[in-house]
Amino acid sequence: MKPLVIEQIVKQYGEKTAVSDLSFEVSEGEIYGLLGANGAGKTTTMRMILGLIMPDRGEIRYYGKPYGSEQLRMMGYLPEERGLYPKLKVADQLIYLGQLRGMSRAEADRSLRDWLRKFQVEEYYNRKVEELSKGNQQKIQFIAAVIHRPKILIMDEAFSGLDPVNVELLKSAVKELRDQGTSMVFSTHRMEHVEELCRNITILDRSRTMLQGSLREIKRRFPRERVVLDTEGDVQGLDSLPDIRSVRRTETGYEIFIAREEAAQNVLRHSLAQAQVRRFELMEPTLNEIFIKTVGERNE
Amino acid sequence: MNSLWTVMAFTLRSKLRSKAYVWTTVTLAVLLVLGSNLPYILERLNVGGSSEPKPVGYLEGVYPEIVQGLEAFFARQENPGVRLVPIPSGGSPQADEAALRQAGEDETVKGYLTFTDRPETGFPEAVFHSASVMNFSLADSLRIALESVKAEMVFRNVELDEAERALLATPVAVHTLLVSPDGEGGRTAAEHAVVMGLTYALIILLFMAVTITGQLVATEITAEKSSRVMEILITSVKPLTQMFGKILGTFVAGIVQIAVLVGVAVVSLTLPHNRGALEALGIRLDAVEPQLLAYAIFFYLAGYFLYATLFAAIGSIVSRTEELGQATTPVMLLSILGFYVAIFSLQNPDSPLVVIGSYIPFFTPFLMFERIGLAEPPAWEIALAIGILLASILLFGWLAAKIYRVGVLMYGKRPSIRELIKAMKAYRV
Repeated sequence: MKPLVIEQIVKQYGEKTAVSDLSFEVSEGEIYGLLGANGAGKTTTMRMILGLIMPDRGEIRYYGKPYGSEQLRMMGYLPEERGLYPKLKVADQLIYLGQLRGMSRAEADRSLRDWLRKFQVEEYYNRKVEELSKGNQQKIQFIAAVIHRPKILIMDEAFSGLDPVNVELLKSAVKELRDQGTSMVFSTHRMEHVEELCRNITILDRSRTMLQGSLREIKRRFPRERVVLDTEGDVQGLDSLPDIRSVRRTETGYEIFIAREEAAQNVLRHSLAQAQVRRFELMEPTLNEIFIKTVGERNE
Repeated sequence: MNSLWTVMAFTLRSKLRSKAYVWTTVTLAVLLVLGSNLPYILERLNVGGSSEPKPVGYLEGVYPEIVQGLEAFFARQENPGVRLVPIPSGGSPQADEAALRQAGEDETVKGYLTFTDRPETGFPEAVFHSASVMNFSLADSLRIALESVKAEMVFRNVELDEAERALLATPVAVHTLLVSPDGEGGRTAAEHAVVMGLTYALIILLFMAVTITGQLVATEITAEKSSRVMEILITSVKPLTQMFGKILGTFVAGIVQIAVLVGVAVVSLTLPHNRGALEALGIRLDAVEPQLLAYAIFFYLAGYFLYATLFAAIGSIVSRTEELGQATTPVMLLSILGFYVAIFSLQNPDSPLVVIGSYIPFFTPFLMFERIGLAEPPAWEIALAIGILLASILLFGWLAAKIYRVGVLMYGKRPSIRELIKAMKAYRV
């Protein structure tokens, strides 16, 4: 029984379609990437999963069951727009949020202390949220989403506004939750996070599903078009080889964009004849490139 | 039910801990203590005190017959309001007047009496020169005394026995008894005054409680929305549960505040030194009918829930606290209208305006309460008004819950009614 199954959901606001015919599944212990430019329908999809909005058509099932009040308690939500009670103490409001999701006071308190220890910010237990730095507020916000040990965690723009140290900290917390079996739906603009964390993704563009599947397969579907070449000394005449789109000089060598993968071998042969090659790599497309290709080109 | 309790307890706890709440309560309590002790404090500050007879001057030697009659009249009374003080004559009319005036300025007397001949009636015209504008009761006592003196002078030569003379000397007692339609009971004027005062006080209390706590509900909801904590809340607990938990929690906070204030007022009013002061004003707390208090509590509850649901709905559609004042204006006006109609028709609780208004649910708490207190409407009218009120609480509670459901998700510009309805359809609530 999959923790979360989304089946052909459609949502319209008046004439505007926010989500059309979206389907995907999230397994236990999987982080699912939901990508798309602003206004693609990510937040609407997440709100439908959270039961805030009902889809016009289609179905969302949680462990095989339709939405009901017991689903509220097994879900956690890290909203895009972060917010807590600024004037209240961390402990007061997080224990309250834990209680709202069915924990006892003592359980919520214990869980809160565990998380604070994990993030090495135990001294914030009795501090007001407004007194904390932005990065630390984000940690508290994250704890607010997971204090009740949700089975399904929805994270909108999970690591935005964090410095690299805190990103690593939260990322390791997310991985830990994943290894404990939490299923997550995750949206972000930072493609490297998706590459690191997600097995399967969906790329949305203006309500439509543009790309879907496992990250590895998606990458395989896109041709390898970039060659990184580092050499001792210059290499002449690279751009006059067949099937070469463009050649860019870099600090240590060249970056060559090719029209067909076969052209790469030609480049290598050509270079070996002129200089000593320190590095030659036919690069896999990055998710960033794939994303821009699918979404960006049409947006121009 | 469990999360309703959690929301309620959380709202109450944060309310009771907030500085604003504590300070309002303390300030109001201090004001109440001062206010309820004011008669006593004034009496203390007042030289001589109110129960002592007040000194009134007269020119020595004028109209000895009348002056003696007055003195005899005041001597007969148990608590004479006036003590006559002779002022020695200065010889000339100018000097006389100066001497009287001087006595008034020295505050040895509260005022003085002069007489002008009126040959056509045979009894002089008396003028009371008061040292202060507040001496109404003094002038009254003097008039009653002079009437009595005149009557005695007229009947002096008539054969009257002791009983008849005593009757003549006794001031007439007039008590107003309020006629009740069912022909029984009826209140004395003093009781009526107490009921009127109580109705007045309760209407003010009702108005304040409804608007202040109602505004609080709206402010809290908007604050949760603008700080974006709302998105987490509505994904943790059903919006309906959350809204009613908030309303109930604020309500309990309001009740606690009112209980503290009423407790302070009752304690300071029943302190031994204050009891006398109240009785002097004709106010007796035991004259308060328990039935009226029960109605007061009921209308407070009903009024609060009716207005609180409206305030909650408004709070949910506003994104920023700064815009809240403007958004709540219509509801505030509604409550102010009910309040003013009630206050300005206290003397006239049977007017068509009040009768019709008492069936309009937003005004019922004020106006039907006023009618019950002051006009004794038939039972079926009370039942009808309460029925309409309860039905509208359900209706507006349901409507507010729907608005709340979509309102909390709508950020940015305050949505129009049409946009709200569209959103309700889109969100399928």
